[in-house]
Amino acid sequence: MQYQSQMAAKPYFIAAILLFVGQIVFGLIMGLQYVIGDFLFPEIPFNVARMVHTNLLIVWLLFGFMGATYYLVPEEAETELHSTKLAYILFWIFLGAGVVTVLGYLLVPYATLARITGNEILPTMGREFLEQPTIIKIGLVLVILGFLYNTTITILKGRKTVVSWVLLLGLWGLAIFFLFAFYNPHNLVLDKYYWWWVVHLWVEGVWELIMGAILAFVLIKLTGVDREVVEKWLYVIIAMTLLTGIIGTGHHYYWIGTPEYWQWWGSIFSALEPIPFFMMVIFAFNMANKRRRQHPNKAAMLWAIGTPVMAFLGAGVWGFLHTLAPVNFYTHGSQITAAHGHMAFYGAYVMIVLAIISYAMPMLRGRAAANSDKSQVIEMWSFWLMTVSMVFITLFLTGAGILQIWLQRIGENPQSFMVVQEKISLFYWMREVAGVIFLIGLVLYVISFFIGGEERTAPAKA
Amino acid sequence: MQPTDNEQPPPGQSLAVVAESLYLVNLLLLPGFAFIALLLLYWRHIGQTSPLARCHLEQTLFASLWAGVLLILANIAILLLGGYDAAYTWVVLVLYFTAVHTTLVILGTIGLAKAMAGKPFEYPLLGKKCHGL
Repeated sequence: MQYQSQMAAKPYFIAAILLFVGQIVFGLIMGLQYVIGDFLFPEIPFNVARMVHTNLLIVWLLFGFMGATYYLVPEEAETELHSTKLAYILFWIFLGAGVVTVLGYLLVPYATLARITGNEILPTMGREFLEQPTIIKIGLVLVILGFLYNTTITILKGRKTVVSWVLLLGLWGLAIFFLFAFYNPHNLVLDKYYWWWVVHLWVEGVWELIMGAILAFVLIKLTGVDREVVEKWLYVIIAMTLLTGIIGTGHHYYWIGTPEYWQWWGSIFSALEPIPFFMMVIFAFNMANKRRRQHPNKAAMLWAIGTPVMAFLGAGVWGFLHTLAPVNFYTHGSQITAAHGHMAFYGAYVMIVLAIISYAMPMLRGRAAANSDKSQVIEMWSFWLMTVSMVFITLFLTGAGILQIWLQRIGENPQSFMVVQEKISLFYWMREVAGVIFLIGLVLYVISFFIGGEERTAPAKA
Repeated sequence: MQPTDNEQPPPGQSLAVVAESLYLVNLLLLPGFAFIALLLLYWRHIGQTSPLARCHLEQTLFASLWAGVLLILANIAILLLGGYDAAYTWVVLVLYFTAVHTTLVILGTIGLAKAMAGKPFEYPLLGKKCHGL
């Protein structure tokens, strides 16, 4: 570790992993509620478990992105962070807000939570993924503003690299598009229209820039390939991301009451959305093949190579599967969407955060470059367990989705939603088993950090 | 061998990259047309090219032929055996097609990255052995 202020990343990474464990536990609870409807009812109703599962995902990924930024920016800018103290203060505010929100979901009825947090003054609650009380959303904006101030000043005063500029662009985009969470028009069409400006333009827009920048940084460090080569790839990848992703928002506008032309725009541009992910796969393999050093952190390399592959599968392939309007007419809102969502989030964002944690954490814990071989073997087991089980979760949900669509929407005698849910329960059981294996993989990931042994030394030339 | 960015590319690298690209285009954009182009490229260069290019030409051609069998014939078999009107036919067919197609694409991207790095690549199970490398 070259700069003392990079240590600010450590609590963010730890919080991210702890919240990740929480997210998976609630995912398993919810998965069980799909097949045992009254499991943990009324203590944890399905809608609450779902809210906690998705909100924890967003919050821990934000912790991960922030930690990654605090680790990456000083090294890229070749200067200490503008204010390490601010980074720590914002960490505690963000963590406090996150914990209070989740406890609020779990302990207080949602309507009461809305009332006691003054939602009627500026109503923003009640929408999927944006369920947080308005006051928490305001707090989040303040945290992000402080975070952006800190990182922007650091980058401006230090060396400017393509990696840090792309990262900054992504982070500013993240902040700006979150502001649409405060726009809550009465017209449901308009509401949905702008709601996607947060949700879609985050995950299929600016977050991809953050992902690309972190991936580029990790690959530069692990492979020793010339920065210029990586930067050229990054330019093309972000250009394709923005070109396809922004108008690709149209694939959410097919059936919400917007003009029909969105079916064309959405279909054409979102069909192109796999391209940047495809390029990321070639980019990552290309860097691995051209590497000039054998970095001792093999586990981090595995995560870095796995990220674009799984992102391409989850976001690219499973996204394309149901993105064309004539197909989406049948698949909309089915388990196909759930399959896509699970693998896309895992591949694109969970894995990139785990990749940077895997790369940075040994150094943040005082090691030269990597954990011991024993620790890395456990971590690589966790990689395969999580990744393979996520593939199976996706396949089972896809199977459930196809059957659901057939029975509910295509077959000669369409059946009702709940009747169909009963008929696809076998897939839900299999998904739950795969989810348990995923949790075991995650626990192994955590355990790997506590396994001692002789640490691996600094990178060797290839 | 670890080629660096400043080194001269090994002989036949461009041809290897074109072969891997055509394999991917056949799977992703222009099925059939790209295969014909790959076939023509193979016939034209296989006897007079470097071991690297020969390796990638042979690999991509044989993998493309296997891809045809795995994606077209196997899916026709699933449809014929399961019946067009059966729900589970479509469950099996879509899952099978997606899994096999993406696996073939991922193998192609690895092959392309290898070609871009001037290295040989053998498609697991599908490709021929590369000789002379």
